[in-house]
Amino acid sequence: MRAIPRHALNAGWILVLPFVVLVGALFLGPIFNILWLSVSDPTPGLGNYTELFTSDSLGRILWTTLRVCVICTAISVVLGYSIAYAMVHAAEGTRNKMLGLLLVSFWISVLVRTFSWLMLLGRNGVVNSTLETIGIISEPISFMRNELGVLIGMVHYMVPYAVLPILASMQSIDGRVLQASRSLGATGTQTFWRVYLPLSRAGLVAAALLVFIINLGFYVIPAVLGGGKVLMVAEYISVQVLVTLQWGTAAMLAALLLFGVLALLFLMSRFMKLSTVFGGARA
Amino acid sequence: MHDKQFMRETLLEGAQAFQAGKLGRRGFLALCGMAGFASASVLAGRAEAAAGEIVMWNWGGQSEECHTSAIGNAFTAETGMPLKFDTSGPLQGKIREMVDSGNVTADVCDGDLFDAVALGKTGHLEPIDYSVVDKTKTIDGYALEFGVSIILYGYAFMYDTQAYPDGPPTSWVDFFDTERFPGTRSLYKWANGSLEAALMADGVEKDQLYPLDLDRALAKIKSIKDNTIYWGSGAEAQQMIVNGEVSMGMVWQNRGRSIETDTEGRYKLVNNGAIAMPGAYIVPKGNPGGPAVMKFIATAQSVPAQLDLFACLGMTPTNSEAIAAMAESDQPYSITSEQNFPNVVLNDPNWWGENTDTAVNAFLEAIS
Repeated sequence: MRAIPRHALNAGWILVLPFVVLVGALFLGPIFNILWLSVSDPTPGLGNYTELFTSDSLGRILWTTLRVCVICTAISVVLGYSIAYAMVHAAEGTRNKMLGLLLVSFWISVLVRTFSWLMLLGRNGVVNSTLETIGIISEPISFMRNELGVLIGMVHYMVPYAVLPILASMQSIDGRVLQASRSLGATGTQTFWRVYLPLSRAGLVAAALLVFIINLGFYVIPAVLGGGKVLMVAEYISVQVLVTLQWGTAAMLAALLLFGVLALLFLMSRFMKLSTVFGGARA
Repeated sequence: MHDKQFMRETLLEGAQAFQAGKLGRRGFLALCGMAGFASASVLAGRAEAAAGEIVMWNWGGQSEECHTSAIGNAFTAETGMPLKFDTSGPLQGKIREMVDSGNVTADVCDGDLFDAVALGKTGHLEPIDYSVVDKTKTIDGYALEFGVSIILYGYAFMYDTQAYPDGPPTSWVDFFDTERFPGTRSLYKWANGSLEAALMADGVEKDQLYPLDLDRALAKIKSIKDNTIYWGSGAEAQQMIVNGEVSMGMVWQNRGRSIETDTEGRYKLVNNGAIAMPGAYIVPKGNPGGPAVMKFIATAQSVPAQLDLFACLGMTPTNSEAIAAMAESDQPYSITSEQNFPNVVLNDPNWWGENTDTAVNAFLEAIS
């Protein structure tokens, strides 16, 4: 897109102004309210934020959240990359079928998935009872109600989110570049690592960011599949709001998540143009 | 705030006039427009209440039909006011938010008595009018300024009869003994009931429980942590048992009977040491239906309503006349029946009203 000539006031802005104001007010208002709450409840000051450094349990909850999110992001992106790679190189008909399957799993409600995993991998689930019947194991394997269960559930949920941006960036790679690489003597492996991977990097970063950010706010999957032992920040916030009424702590954690995500985007913007990551413009 | 209140009152009158046919639809909508309210939100909120009805805020599922059949029908027959429901679950935080926002849309919450203590103190509740509601129709000590216990639910445990053929567990001591009774357990993850159970297992007498010794309770909870999974809702607790995930599981006592039926008797309820929880009706400050809600609460105390709630939801009556009128076959499942009552702990709503935040957070830290 060409740069828009800078008139003092573009008429278009007047048309959208009411909506900008409306969206701004409805969106920023509550956010400021949360920020305000985090420094005013129960007493004015930064007390809620100093808790971060003094409370062991907050530190542990944040660490659990971070650990689970990083592991889940890594697995989801690797799986997503492989799937996208297979899709790009499949015949058109097969690709459409694959996309269909991917979107179906994208649309299934998180609750349905969660309970399906319990049915499949629970103590008396299909997998455990089959393995026990054919005598491979004598005690059921604890897939669920622990951190492993949370990871299985979260990765399953996040893979479609990882595939879509990677797929988009792979589809825009010019196949002739790869042919050129091969014709200049690079092996298949070299072509992948030195040509294909760098060219699909934007999609990879976008997928990792998207998956990580969504992961940070996961609630249902850790609450159910973690069996109460994997306490992540979203569930903790909800308990502070609904049960213990420590709204200041909840608001502080919410603000922390918000600024964490913004900081992440900022860091990323130092290394690459965010607009290419999110497909706003073709680099 | 005052102009908001004025707008609301104007709208309320408009809505009443609209209901009575004195104001046309267009006039009413114009009024809503002038007041800056979307008509839908007005109709859903204050205006609905203006039609003279009681909105009960409960937990959905079966409770909607049970509250209608047990209390709503009798109440409507007597007063002509219909009973409606908001089934989103009146957790303390939601009640506080509703009252703080100034847009109160519920008249009575199916809450806990400790909610009445916590939220009454902070000015979020209407006091109970004991000239209408009967103090003597509940358990001693469960008629508080801002809430009255209507039914008792509770925490008890169930065990897998096939896991322990040589002798079943009979108390919380057995529940916490993973040597004699191996297998996975489940506990409630928001501390309530779990703490009392742990203390009883650790040898505290049931009349010495309060104030709860948090450190001692949490040490006991941690001692079986590797063998415990935790549930957050009654449905989840039930699932853990019905799916065979646990050999012993804490449940809401009122669900015990239906789980025994669902598992065809494989899992059995143990009421010994059960913690009776006073389920209470509480009224958010500035409730739209006004004082009529007290009549509703009084209706819920009546013997037929209490017996119906027991039949429908398994919640034990608090009105002693209703307890006396219960059938012989129901006695084992009533937490306050003659056979169960001597072995049951009565939850202290004052301790929980004061200490929920500390207890829940310490509990979450211990189990996570």
